[in-house]
Amino acid sequence: MSQRQVLPVVPSRMTLTQVKARLQGARRGHALLKKKSDALTARFRAILREIVDKKQRAAELLRDASFRFVAVKYVVGDELKHIVQESVERAETRLRVRFDNVAGVSLPCYRCVSGSVSTGPVATSTIATAAAAAAVAVARNDGYAEDMRAAGPVQTGVASVAQYRGLGRGGQQIAACREAYNEALLALVELASLQTSYLILDEAIKVTNRRVNALENVLIPRLENTIAYILSELDEQEREEFFRLKLVQNRKKRELARTQAQELRARERRAAQALRAFDMNSFEQALEPDAANTPSILEQIAGADADLLPI
Amino acid sequence: MDMLTFNADNGYLEAVVRGLKASLLRRQDYTNLAQCESPEDMRTILNSSDYGLWLQNEPAPLQTQALYDCLMNRLVYDFRSIRGQSYAPLSTFLDYVTYPYMIDNLVLLLMGVLRNRDLSELLDKCHPLGLFEGIATLTAIHSPEELYREILVDTPLAPYFAECVNVHDLTEMNVEIIRNLLYKAYLTDFYQLCVERIGGMTGSIMATLIAFEADRRVINITLNSLETSLRKDERMMLFPRVPGGLDDEIIQRLGRADDLQAVAMALDLSSTYRALFQRAAERGEYSLEDQFLEFEMKLLRESFDAQFHYGVFYAYFRMLEQEIRNLTWIAECITQKQFAHASRVVPIL
Amino acid sequence: MTDAGDLASVKDADRLIAIIGDEDTVTGFLLTGIGDRTRPTDPTYLVVRRDTSDATIAEAFEHFTRQRKDVGMVLITQNIANRIRSNIEGYTGRVPAVIEIPSKDQVYDPRQDTLMQRVQRLLGIRDR
Repeated sequence: MSQRQVLPVVPSRMTLTQVKARLQGARRGHALLKKKSDALTARFRAILREIVDKKQRAAELLRDASFRFVAVKYVVGDELKHIVQESVERAETRLRVRFDNVAGVSLPCYRCVSGSVSTGPVATSTIATAAAAAAVAVARNDGYAEDMRAAGPVQTGVASVAQYRGLGRGGQQIAACREAYNEALLALVELASLQTSYLILDEAIKVTNRRVNALENVLIPRLENTIAYILSELDEQEREEFFRLKLVQNRKKRELARTQAQELRARERRAAQALRAFDMNSFEQALEPDAANTPSILEQIAGADADLLPI
Repeated sequence: MDMLTFNADNGYLEAVVRGLKASLLRRQDYTNLAQCESPEDMRTILNSSDYGLWLQNEPAPLQTQALYDCLMNRLVYDFRSIRGQSYAPLSTFLDYVTYPYMIDNLVLLLMGVLRNRDLSELLDKCHPLGLFEGIATLTAIHSPEELYREILVDTPLAPYFAECVNVHDLTEMNVEIIRNLLYKAYLTDFYQLCVERIGGMTGSIMATLIAFEADRRVINITLNSLETSLRKDERMMLFPRVPGGLDDEIIQRLGRADDLQAVAMALDLSSTYRALFQRAAERGEYSLEDQFLEFEMKLLRESFDAQFHYGVFYAYFRMLEQEIRNLTWIAECITQKQFAHASRVVPIL
Repeated sequence: MTDAGDLASVKDADRLIAIIGDEDTVTGFLLTGIGDRTRPTDPTYLVVRRDTSDATIAEAFEHFTRQRKDVGMVLITQNIANRIRSNIEGYTGRVPAVIEIPSKDQVYDPRQDTLMQRVQRLLGIRDR
């Protein structure tokens, strides 16, 4: 089949150079695409592995978080879920999308942005030694202070409900639970980036590989075939030319020989006529008996020269 | 109230409550329950208890939420049957016991109104013990002012609202702050009811219990507001104060406390809470909240030692709540395969 | 990749995180502030209770993944995902990303996860 794969071109020196240029381009493209495909595949495999790890980790974090939620329910009671659900207003935690570039494919990268004041009360669910907790508290304080500034303008009377949630009962448990879910959420957001990247890369790799394969198995062989075809055509043409020249040469030689022969005959004929006119009568008697038997030289020549075409 | 006449009106109900209290799950039962592999196993154990009847119609496999609903139904049933047979002033006393649920419900409704939610939907989420008159007309309510004028003024909580919240502030105030202000007013009122209007044995027993409740809230509010933007004076305003509770000195210190250490130092002045606080620090697994619960259960148990008072009714329902908490905890631990934690409950008896 | 508690204030252009799950899981995630009810009848979460039908779940899933353009990620607990598996497998879009999370009362099983199945096949890991 590949033998038949020839581009429809006129075989000539010019097309040959053109096709050769195309072949070179195709080879370079093939090498580049191959490199891209390799880069993508490397990233792809890394992502796959990371997905497996992250998913496992997220599952663990979430397990911890739901257990903390049980602790919240133990202290606060079942009505908390209604309070939480009813206090939902405007999302304070959202996703921001940024794009990463891997070998010309843009991969989305989600990031969790939070405009909320994550100021739950003390995050430690159990009261450790006062000093240690106080140290934690101080460390946290800084973070929160920064948070507060950032969220200052957004904060309204309604939005800050979350801040005082569980004030009278279970605030610490709620805060711990919230932290746990936050952590799980961050892991899940990372996972979302990976997962989307995985899907996009999967497709990009497929497209690239399809191109690599197309170049490797179709275009490049076809160009090579075309070159071979043009070359063979050109050779053929050369041979034909040579043969034609030979033929012409032969013909010319033969024509030359014929004209020479004609000239010779004409000369002989003229000589014979002249002889006959010169002394026909005086030599007729003397030569009579012989003349009748012996053929003339001319006749001898003419007889020998059977090759000559009759005039 | 007279010991002579107590039994005439309340003798039967007191006997009923003492009987019910005797059938609460014990330490041994919790140990057994904590060994379960699934909520279905729990059902098998619970079948021999008072809950058997309540659980029998639940389809298998038993879900935690279903278990909780059953337990709560039982509490509501117990409460209603006792309330239905009671005479004043016990009936008033029992009504007061339901006010915390009512506060929760009202705050939930208020939150719904502020966010333009469909209030009839919220109705299903209200606690059945905290329902009040006029709740059926909720669908017509569209603003906090309307909620106040149409519903709140007719509830027993109206005076509390009047005391702590200006109607026009309803929109701006944080509902959690309102909740705590209401609770503060409620505790003060409840204290007055028990000590001044009912008095006697009920007064002295309930004084201890309410004082503890108030103290617990003071400490919790302090701890939970440490790192919020709640101002110190606002914090002080939320502290419920009843006679017999924490000293003024401690209250002042807690009001000023900036960090855990300051709280610990303030509580150092109270022998009761110092011990609780220290134990919470020593036993990392049990939070301060658990210590409070343990202590509360002890107080509740002690209230059963005396006779001729209403405290037992209050105590029984608090104990039943604790039992529900414990059972849901165990069920959740089991469904989440956190078996190691399942036995970490605060037993009642 | 992701910074905990990014301090930049939230813009409306930032995408929302939707969640479909049991009451406790949803409530837990709502604590982190992902919920949005700016349109009161159109919250970004669905609480699946005992009486919630598969059709309701599927509808919510389609709504979050196809109709709402402001959702960047859909979390769905595994036991619920199993109930609408065909919808999940039928969803091929990239944004929003659909993430299966363990439900609170079941240990997470990667073999049930549509994505993990594919990933593990690609990695050649059969059992883990």
